[in-house]
Amino acid sequence: MKDITVRVYRFDPEKDREAHFETYTIEVNEGARVLHVLHAIHDELDPTLSYRYSCGSGQCGSCAVRVNGEPVLACMEEAQNNITIEPLNLSVKKDLVVDLLPTLETIASLKPSDSQKMPTKSDIDTIKPLRDCIECLCCVSVCPAMDVTKFLGPTAMRQEMRLALDPRDSGDRIVDAVREGLFTCTSCQACWKACPKEIEIPSKAIEKLRTLANKKGLTLPKHQEVAALVKETGRSVNRIEPTFMELVNAEVIEPTGPVKATIGFFVGCMYNMRLPKAALDAMEVLKRNGIRVIIPKEQVCCGSPLIRTGQLSFLDTLKKRNIDAFRFRGIDTVMTMCAGCGSTLKNDYKTPFNVMDISEVLTTYGIEPPARLPIKATYHDPCHLLRGQGIREQPRQLIRQVVDLVDMPSICCGSGGGVRSGNPEEAAALGKRRGDEIKKTGADIVISSCPFCEFHIAGHTDKPVKNITTVLLEGYKEKDRKKGNSKVT
Amino acid sequence: MLADKVVDCHVLVIGSGGAGVRATIEASQYGDTVLISKTIVGKGGCTTMAEGGYNAVLRDEDSCGVHFEDTLKGGAYLNDPELVNILVKEAPLRVNDLITWGAVFDFTENDEIAQRPFGGQRFPRTCYAGDRTGHEMITTLVERLDSSNVTLLQEYTVIDLLKSGESVIGAMALDEKGNLVLLKADSTILATGGGTKVYDISTNSSSGTGDGFAIGYRAGAELIDMEMIQFHPTGAVFPYDARGRLVTEAVRGEGGTLLNNLGERFMKRYDPERMELSTRDVVARAIATEIQGGRGTKNGGVYLDVTHLPHEQIETKLPVMLEQFLKFGVDIRKQPMEVAPTAHHIMGGLRITPECRTTLSGLFACGEVAGGVHGANRLGGNALADTQVFGKRAGEFAGKSKKRIKNVDDDQISQKLEHLDTFLKGSENPARVRTQLQQAMWRGAGIFRNATDLNKTLEIINNLSLANVRAESFGNLAECCIVRNMCLTASLICRSALIRQESRGAHVRVDIHQTHDAQHSPFNHTFISPSRKGIEKNRGLT
Repeated sequence: MKDITVRVYRFDPEKDREAHFETYTIEVNEGARVLHVLHAIHDELDPTLSYRYSCGSGQCGSCAVRVNGEPVLACMEEAQNNITIEPLNLSVKKDLVVDLLPTLETIASLKPSDSQKMPTKSDIDTIKPLRDCIECLCCVSVCPAMDVTKFLGPTAMRQEMRLALDPRDSGDRIVDAVREGLFTCTSCQACWKACPKEIEIPSKAIEKLRTLANKKGLTLPKHQEVAALVKETGRSVNRIEPTFMELVNAEVIEPTGPVKATIGFFVGCMYNMRLPKAALDAMEVLKRNGIRVIIPKEQVCCGSPLIRTGQLSFLDTLKKRNIDAFRFRGIDTVMTMCAGCGSTLKNDYKTPFNVMDISEVLTTYGIEPPARLPIKATYHDPCHLLRGQGIREQPRQLIRQVVDLVDMPSICCGSGGGVRSGNPEEAAALGKRRGDEIKKTGADIVISSCPFCEFHIAGHTDKPVKNITTVLLEGYKEKDRKKGNSKVT
Repeated sequence: MLADKVVDCHVLVIGSGGAGVRATIEASQYGDTVLISKTIVGKGGCTTMAEGGYNAVLRDEDSCGVHFEDTLKGGAYLNDPELVNILVKEAPLRVNDLITWGAVFDFTENDEIAQRPFGGQRFPRTCYAGDRTGHEMITTLVERLDSSNVTLLQEYTVIDLLKSGESVIGAMALDEKGNLVLLKADSTILATGGGTKVYDISTNSSSGTGDGFAIGYRAGAELIDMEMIQFHPTGAVFPYDARGRLVTEAVRGEGGTLLNNLGERFMKRYDPERMELSTRDVVARAIATEIQGGRGTKNGGVYLDVTHLPHEQIETKLPVMLEQFLKFGVDIRKQPMEVAPTAHHIMGGLRITPECRTTLSGLFACGEVAGGVHGANRLGGNALADTQVFGKRAGEFAGKSKKRIKNVDDDQISQKLEHLDTFLKGSENPARVRTQLQQAMWRGAGIFRNATDLNKTLEIINNLSLANVRAESFGNLAECCIVRNMCLTASLICRSALIRQESRGAHVRVDIHQTHDAQHSPFNHTFISPSRKGIEKNRGLT
């Protein structure tokens, strides 16, 4: 037995004007789960504490709550000392009990067809991964799109895809899904990272539904334009100024000092054609830290804008061209700067080389300490870096070497999944929310590591938005200035 | 009217597990149907937790006759043969209903429903969806329910049946705020599931508190074989608070072996022929005997080992087990599980006819709350089949029943309100009563029983039933009612266990010397109701 202290959200709409937290210290058994702590509080300290549970073994999806802000099943999550337990971010009925019914009622049901056509084993095997859902609504509670636009949400899309795969169903699932907001998903990946059953809703349901929608001619016109541009130019944006690759005009950038490593650089459309300065800054930082960079000229768009929007017809050509560009040069590590390209190369490609984000490269090989700048910064986690690649600490580790870092919640800025082009109002609403969060931190600048995020957030805050490498480079310039040395220009 | 809300319908279904939802779907074809549930529909009950499978005869090499014999033999010949006959004949039809409605069961390479071996059966006839079969079923049923025109009252606790003379005309319930709701119905179906939460170690969900047994008994219905409690051989032992959590029989079905702390595959001493796939009563007693004999693990279990199976088989056939144990720090691909018996299923329950009619007019019962189908020991895989076969029947025959005049007796309501009022003035913590009850039941009415301990347990239960339990707020009234129901169900178990003076199936009386085997027992069902109790004698044997 051990004592444990927890903070619990309390709210009784019949008595309380607003919610408050109560702190409880209670004796529990070794290995006790969050649910057992709630049982102990209810049984021994306060029988009016309301919470929902049923199976106690992770199978019914009744007991989802937030622990330290993250949605979990109370029955499976081991209780730790000093945790904060809150209801899911849904309408609260009382204490930890939220109203699940309005969402559960929107999840589609199979409409048996008359054909009596039965699924095959291969149908069953495809459907099964989408069938593990226990409707705990963790995914719904973290979905940013649902907050700002009409979208039935991740698990509703999961169910539409499950039905679309089933020959027994007679519904028109693609048309339904489009009507229910298929194209509002920003592919932020928050839903499946919150899913206790780890159902990959963005890739296994949403992108698949968008692919089926594409076959039905339901792809959004803006997305079709992007696909046409990629097909025509190999790039997802058009040229409006000299590109990064034109400005560098060399295939190899040698570091200043001894070579610690040689990497290939997958530039990506946005850093090449919209934010070339950030990419040039990155080259300076790499040069200073012993990284030799090879930039194959024939590389093209990674295909992410096509995959996220379900337009796959041209994808294999892009993949082959990109893989060949690096493979022919014998490159064994390819670096990405763009979170979206990185996530795509890591998750949607089968590459014969290792893929690393620039923050991984810099922290793996180590960097020369920059001077500290007297400013406070906040960091926006790009969805495709944090959730798409699981990279959280490396960017922070780099940033803390040069400025003071104030964290803010990791929520999508609204630019991904084709939403900025396809649903600009939704993207703006999410961007505004980021702007508000940035304001709350009191930071002087916003740092990120994704061209889509940087570009989009810049439109929703009055603070400068900078790439990590740009800030590092400023630190080096300051260092050089102090030394009266002008190694970097 | 004394209640805060009144609902009138043709069929009222109480309980939203597999049986209740199936009954509702069927009944809705005949008139206004209301499904009332203590939980959110689809999330409560034990169906959603059922892992292993659903028994149905689907292959030419198998036959209903063999399924019938396996079930009777497994049930120590205490089953009602007519009910078993219905179970085996209709289980295949009902699994087909599920498939038609979209259930995603595992298929074979020939695109047929896959089946796995389960304990006590001579043919691998257990259909499954990985190890989340019950969840698959309830998901399918709830989808089907959505397209039926029924009223759902979710998170309402039924506290008693409404009576008019000797007939049942509906039920009384509390909503989540503690307001009283009256539900008038031409026919009422009890589908409240089981009640092994009356034991300290149990596989059941929060709703397995035996409310249906207690509510039915108070209304005057007769229950049979309430002493027949199935202890599932394999429940988790660690962490302490998750003790009793079901480790599916499918683990043994897939080839898992049981080992004691000497590394000995001890089932060879208890059932050398069937080994780990013997019936649950036999395996549970074997494990309990090993543990009592000092051959258990340090956490008080035995080992259940699948490390010899291919990882891929574990990952695809037992994904829930893999995931649950990983959460508790055990990778079952590399380390054995530790398991011990856990109270799982109540074979006894309300006496029913093949049409699911109870001994009370207007009241039907199906699923675990009904008795007679499984005899003295249930075969793994027969419970899910039971929910569908008898759920459908209860819904159909309740639906087909005539309309009746429903005169609610105001006295019954005011008595109930007074009763609820005493909880608001009570002083004792219901959680304490519940814990004491569960511990007493585990100690005195567990796997091995004797009259002295059963009487002692009954005395404790009687005292706990009188405890002046307190509802801290209106919202806590339901908890007090449930604790009282648990006490009543526990007492029915102990009283029936004292009546049955023999060992049979899951019921073992170590204080009784016995010469007959199950097939030649002089006894049939025990029965208990407010007006009579006793044991039936087998015709021709006494």
